[in-house]
Amino acid sequence: MPGAIILEFPDLYLNGLSLTLQVSLLGSIGALLIGTFVALLRISPVAPLRWIGVAFVEFFRNTPLLVQLFFLFLGLGALGFRFWSTNTFETIFRAAAVGMALYHGAYVAEVVRGGLLGIDRGQVEAARSLGLSYVQTLRYVQLPQTFRTVIPPLGNIGIALIKNTSLASTIGVAELLQAAEIVESRTFRTEEAFGAVILLYLTLTIPASIGVNWLERKLLIAR
Amino acid sequence: MNPFEALRAAICATPGIRCDTWYLFADPNIIRFFGEGLRETITLSIASVVLSFVVGLLFALGRLSRRPWIHWPATLYIETIRALPVLLLIVYFGIKGTALFRPIAEPFVGEDFELSRFWAGVLGLSLYTSAVLAEIIRAGIAALPKGQTEAAFALGLDYVKAMRYVILPQALRLMVPAMMGQLTTVIKDTSLVATIGVFELVRQGRVIYTQYFNPLEVFLYIAVIYFVICFALSQASRRLEIRAPVEAKMKMKIEEVRLRDQVA
Repeated sequence: MPGAIILEFPDLYLNGLSLTLQVSLLGSIGALLIGTFVALLRISPVAPLRWIGVAFVEFFRNTPLLVQLFFLFLGLGALGFRFWSTNTFETIFRAAAVGMALYHGAYVAEVVRGGLLGIDRGQVEAARSLGLSYVQTLRYVQLPQTFRTVIPPLGNIGIALIKNTSLASTIGVAELLQAAEIVESRTFRTEEAFGAVILLYLTLTIPASIGVNWLERKLLIAR
Repeated sequence: MNPFEALRAAICATPGIRCDTWYLFADPNIIRFFGEGLRETITLSIASVVLSFVVGLLFALGRLSRRPWIHWPATLYIETIRALPVLLLIVYFGIKGTALFRPIAEPFVGEDFELSRFWAGVLGLSLYTSAVLAEIIRAGIAALPKGQTEAAFALGLDYVKAMRYVILPQALRLMVPAMMGQLTTVIKDTSLVATIGVFELVRQGRVIYTQYFNPLEVFLYIAVIYFVICFALSQASRRLEIRAPVEAKMKMKIEEVRLRDQVA
């Protein structure tokens, strides 16, 4: 039966699954925060802030995530920066989560910016003429409307993020792919070792994409 | 001491910053070494895009087919592959590629057939990219007015001829910007092939930093090379997009593919 090998190496696979979920979760929260912040920089009335936003987005979108992860772990490691931890496992885990947050944050920023620009100018003008400040307009008028329209694209970024956590294996996080490689090297049962991980990835990403498609349709009708 | 020298001295005094290795990045031999890696990166990308386009076109047409025994396998292929990490596919082909292709290749090549790391990487990348391109192509075909197909059939063209002379030439033109966008993704994705031992840019970088202990400088240098190429391509794609506005529904599909299947 496919996936039965999980029962032979439950610790490896379950730890792998748990690490994949942890990196995904921390990465998504980080990406959402960074992305929203950078989107606000990009629509800021202050030109230098906009330039910082553009530089961030273009740099992180146009370089490979793998290179970013190596830079965060090995490059910053050479400087002695170990993400406030003396434990190497902890350091690579944090480097991976930060890498996910930065890379996907750049995509989130573009989506959120698109959402903010999609709001009718009249909304902003009405809010400002009612006496709301710039920050209040953002907080009570622009952002709440934006998050509604950007939920499906953000869901798609989330799915990409789950898949991309596999790159954390290259800097040594023992997530799902790493688990498969370890089991494969111990047993040489390649199909089974990888088949189990394929099943686990599918159980994460297929429900997620069905959910995103459903939301997309639902929000489209509501609009 | 002038302020620039003072700044440089302060930077170089920081442990981990290896000013003594900076000369490497202007050294013709090292530049040639990275150049070889870049050439490998570019050949990998082109081989993968060409292969993926051919396979992707077949699967796009398969998914658009009304015959259930063609439609469902094509749909299953596209949706399953898109739900998996591309690194997983690359690692799998890296380990298993030779065994998988032995039955096909043995009669031609002989006993000692071995799938090269380069082609294992191309296959892993193409397996994934073909599913992504299939979705982009499908969106492009679906964006054409229905009247185009109907007119072609009414003129007596069969399915193949209608596709060949009427639908695809128009649909492919619509897709050019999206395809160029996908090319930047593929270029970034080739970095993953370093994990199975193809000496492209990242792997060449690893050779350098394990010798000179300067990962910070090496990865910055590599990041800049990728940035220059990918930024130029994505700007060009954006410019084409503005010039050729597409239908809203196709735009949505491409946006979805762009976000969900944007890897590494």
